[in-house]
Amino acid sequence: MTTDVADPPAALEAPRKRGGGGTLGRYILIRFLLIFPTVFILVTLVFFLIRMTGDPITAALGGRLPTDQLAERIHEAGYDRNIFIQYFEYLGQIFTFNFGTTITDKQPVVQVLASYGLATFELVLYSLVVAFIVGIPLGMVAAALRDRWPDAVLRISAILFYATPVFFSGLVAKLVFSVWLGWLPVSGRAGVRTEIALGRDGGTGIYLIDAIASGNPAYVWDVVSHAILPALTLGLLTAGIFLRLVRTNVIGTYNMPYIDAARSRGVRESRLVRTHAYKPALIPIITVIGLQIALMLGGAVLTETTFEWKGLGFQLAAYLSARDFVAVQGIVAMIAIIVAVTNFIVDIIAAFIDPRVRY
Amino acid sequence: MALHHSTRGRLGLAATALGVSTLLLAGCAGGTGNTDNTDATGESIIVGTTDKVTTLDPAGSYDNGSLAVQTQVFPYLVNTNYNDTEVVPDLAESAEFTAPNEYTVTLPAGLKWSNGHDLTSSDVKFSFDRNIAIADPNGASSLLYNLDSVEAPDDTTVVFHLKTDNDQVFPFILTSFPGAIVDEEVFSADAVTPDQDIVDGDAFGGPYKITSWDFNKSVEFTPNENYKGLLDAPVNSGVILSYFAESSNLKLAVQQGDVDVAYRSLSATDVEDLSGNDAVKVVDGPGGEIRYIVFNFNTQPYGATTADADAAKALAVRQAVADLVDREAISDQVYKGTYTPLYSYVPEGFSGAIDALKGLYGDGDGGPDAEKAKATLEAAGVTTPVELSLQYSPDHYGPSSGDEYALVKDQLEKDGLFTVNLQSTEWVQYSKDRTADVYPAYQLGWFPDYSDADNYLTPFFLKDNFLGNHYDNSEVNDLILEQAVEPDADARKADIEKIQELVAADLSTVPLLQGAQVAVTGADVSGVILDASFKLRFAPITK
Repeated sequence: MTTDVADPPAALEAPRKRGGGGTLGRYILIRFLLIFPTVFILVTLVFFLIRMTGDPITAALGGRLPTDQLAERIHEAGYDRNIFIQYFEYLGQIFTFNFGTTITDKQPVVQVLASYGLATFELVLYSLVVAFIVGIPLGMVAAALRDRWPDAVLRISAILFYATPVFFSGLVAKLVFSVWLGWLPVSGRAGVRTEIALGRDGGTGIYLIDAIASGNPAYVWDVVSHAILPALTLGLLTAGIFLRLVRTNVIGTYNMPYIDAARSRGVRESRLVRTHAYKPALIPIITVIGLQIALMLGGAVLTETTFEWKGLGFQLAAYLSARDFVAVQGIVAMIAIIVAVTNFIVDIIAAFIDPRVRY
Repeated sequence: MALHHSTRGRLGLAATALGVSTLLLAGCAGGTGNTDNTDATGESIIVGTTDKVTTLDPAGSYDNGSLAVQTQVFPYLVNTNYNDTEVVPDLAESAEFTAPNEYTVTLPAGLKWSNGHDLTSSDVKFSFDRNIAIADPNGASSLLYNLDSVEAPDDTTVVFHLKTDNDQVFPFILTSFPGAIVDEEVFSADAVTPDQDIVDGDAFGGPYKITSWDFNKSVEFTPNENYKGLLDAPVNSGVILSYFAESSNLKLAVQQGDVDVAYRSLSATDVEDLSGNDAVKVVDGPGGEIRYIVFNFNTQPYGATTADADAAKALAVRQAVADLVDREAISDQVYKGTYTPLYSYVPEGFSGAIDALKGLYGDGDGGPDAEKAKATLEAAGVTTPVELSLQYSPDHYGPSSGDEYALVKDQLEKDGLFTVNLQSTEWVQYSKDRTADVYPAYQLGWFPDYSDADNYLTPFFLKDNFLGNHYDNSEVNDLILEQAVEPDADARKADIEKIQELVAADLSTVPLLQGAQVAVTGADVSGVILDASFKLRFAPITK
């Protein structure tokens, strides 16, 4: 019997290996191919929806020019052409990675994406750091102290974190820490003099790296101090979700038979918690990150606007208001690609870690 | 339930986890103050604004944000001096009509761009030719409607050939959007030149040059040593223009000393709040911005295309509205004095401005008069209450528009003479609807293109005006055309006054408010001049 279990027949094992590898490859391929319809559908929706709300010429000059002059300018810009002709032209441009030039301020969309995208990347990164350092430890604390008062406080806090709209929590944070206490700057990614100095030195566009590279501690603190409130505002939103997720998973894992088995073997309780319960409980976090990236990019629009954090969300709001078709399409396409690719990567990682995912 | 509730290990772990979280956050949030005072660029002045740049190239923009930058860095042939409305030579040595349809400008010899290129009449001709050739949809080339051609017979002479004779408005247009002169060696002749190419080409001829350009984030201006023009050389070592999206953030920034000057646009409540703060000063000046109610002569009550069309009754309705609106109350209650009552079409500060409506309507002294309104309606046989649909845009003329028009509705309805159906529509749709005869009466505002009374008359009251409200008075039409080509200043002023009187009687629009220019500066800042040029010129600002 023992021999049979330890050494399964080769005929049985070989197909399983082939089947497992094939399934993962197929899974990756399907997940990759799904990126294209996702982006295509989103880009198509944005193309038609934004045109239903007006055009950039009317938005800018509707209160200054007579109707005929306005119509003439709209005609010259080609916005009165058949919408499907415009749509297929746009698709052609997208396929050649030509995002065009923004209508309202004549900036190459690629430049807008690079310049403002890095700012959003920086904000989302800081927010993820906040979400991890707040959500995961506090989730563990809540699980460890289940049903005691710290757990209750943390669960309520988690609900508050993710239920409070970011523009509201952002405004409150600004009011308290910037206006009343005067501890932190009101808005922006850095003081204007720091921005100019960092810009003059060239650099990556990620201010923290550029400030560190400048070797000037004042610049570093300036950048960090400007990032604290936006990062906390956006990060706590996700931290609340992480906190509840970790708590639930740790409790669930703690009830698994293998934990009882370990305990019966005399493993100390602290070690049991640290190495046997927490690590497996963190795996679902990876899956959730993919979804959170999308939520964070959505939240970034409001956070960036509240804190004048000049990122993609901030610019998207401005371009939407000006009905800049080209800019909005470019930014939304980029966000769609980021979300789709992030989810793809997260799915692949999850599939590698947890084989159940790929079946 | 297998989770045990009290072991030293778990509690220790919980405490450690909590401590780490707290320490990390505290570490992030520790310290006080911000380092906006970090001075990497010397004692430059920081100006904050919410106005955005469309493009640095004058051929591609027609907005205040772009003009605010262009006016600092590009030369203009003629201009107005500080606190003056007369057009005088700026870059030019002389500028005058040398024939009824020829405006001749002479440049001094030896002018240079900041990059060292020669600045000659060829650059001037190039600037105007390209503006017309490009005719960018976002540009202001339409203001050059009367320019036939430009000639540069030698390096220092430019002759503008005009389509109509004695165009008195043309010199004013040269001070505005399309009047900026650009370097022909850097700018494209047939396309809007990218901002960075202009900055990299160091193609500046105004009091400043741009030494750092981060689009709609910040601009660094440094004095241009090659500038030779009307204005004195800058008294500061440079200016940094910092862009804000929200006026509330701009307010906090000037309050905390992060910016030295906040200019355009703080809200009325922000200005009122800051005016009591010793750390800042509020500076104001005459404003060219106006707000008014437009009547559509076809669709207003008793309008020409309505079922009960009656021109006399329609006029009575407009007159009753003019009798009932209390501009002072709107100014005080909604705008806290940042907009002041406007009783005519040409705002205060311009040559020819008169209070044409003040004596005609209300109590004769600017206040409302319900009895007079009632008598006017009764005399015309209008049944009261008159149902009036009134529209405003909640997103184009600032956040106070809702309060403003709620108050107007209240004023019109208070004595039972009107029933107002007040509605709001998002700006882009609003812009289409208003010229499609959808709105019988609606809100509109105007910021001048150039500092002359004509800019408050020609676009509004000619037969084919931009309002598209079907107003047509041939006497007004003729007088507007006449004043525009009247070389005698006194005769022109008389024409402008007469036009206002005639339109006040017709009430094509009911003017409500005139916006003051307001800047808020640090207590140690001086030299902020807000005059009828409607441009904040950085050169005299110091601290």
